[in-house]
Amino acid sequence: MKKALSLTFVIAMLAVGVTASATTYGKAPGAGEPVKLSELLASPDKYVGKTVKVEGIITDVCAKRGCWMAIAGDKEFQSIRFKVEDGVIVIPMEAKGKKGVAEGTFTKIEMTKEQAIEHAKHVAEEQKKPFDPASVTGPSVMYQINGTGAVID
Amino acid sequence: MNWRRINRAVHRDAGYFCAALTIVYAISGIAVNHTADWNPNYRIEREEKRFAPIPVASREEMVAALVERLELPGPPKSSFRSAPHLVDLFYDGWSVKADAQKGTATIERPRDRAVLRDFNFLHLNHPKGLWTWFADGYAILLALLAISGLFILRGRNGITGRGLWITAAGLLVPLVFVVLLRYV
Repeated sequence: MKKALSLTFVIAMLAVGVTASATTYGKAPGAGEPVKLSELLASPDKYVGKTVKVEGIITDVCAKRGCWMAIAGDKEFQSIRFKVEDGVIVIPMEAKGKKGVAEGTFTKIEMTKEQAIEHAKHVAEEQKKPFDPASVTGPSVMYQINGTGAVID
Repeated sequence: MNWRRINRAVHRDAGYFCAALTIVYAISGIAVNHTADWNPNYRIEREEKRFAPIPVASREEMVAALVERLELPGPPKSSFRSAPHLVDLFYDGWSVKADAQKGTATIERPRDRAVLRDFNFLHLNHPKGLWTWFADGYAILLALLAISGLFILRGRNGITGRGLWITAAGLLVPLVFVVLLRYV
């Protein structure tokens, strides 16, 4: 009886260990190979509108609503915003610095100069940084992944 | 047993059952209503530091230099550069954002707002699954509380007297907002 209890305990602990290692937010990403972010950003038009899976270190998270995170790429100085629907998926701040695998639709956002200024102002406010509208010189294009789900270590 | 007695009993017991969660939802409701002005889940401590600038080198070298100059407790769990001179270092539950050229760094430590983050967790249905069903049941009970509440009193203060005017006022306020902000 004692042995059976001990075995049950060990199995339960192992199960906890396995499930506690990663957390799924939203729909679990599919089984396919992730696309390298450098590849996505090198030829973005090839992927716009398609479902893509990326993996990398989570470098930033929306502190107020948990409605986006930034994922670093395979090459330096590259990252992409993974945007989720407000309230449907909530990414906690604890995710920062952890490794994540995320899936969603690769999206191109074309902004007029005014929209680009508004966007840059919003980002600066979120990061509590000063913002100079003159830093935005014209229309801009932004790529992001409209996320359906992610697994974070 | 007449229907008013049953109505009172339903109102009383549903009221007892809903009291705790109503307070949770009310507090969280106020907290998340003002998300534009504050962070309802975390209190983020930011500490600004200055250090002697570090020349741009490989990420590993810059991270090691930053750990030393900022007297950090050890190598970070992970790191990232958004530009050659901008380095992020990630530790368990906190992070450092450094500008190696300017010699400035911000140490950011997010802390859970005690109780409030749990309230928001429930109110905004982050648990999903079973909690969704419980929250739906709670919403139905709230509707039952409202309807049964209308018929608790009889006479001058009841729904056929003063109660009618106060109920109408409660309906009018949201109605005015919707008409003015959506249809005018």
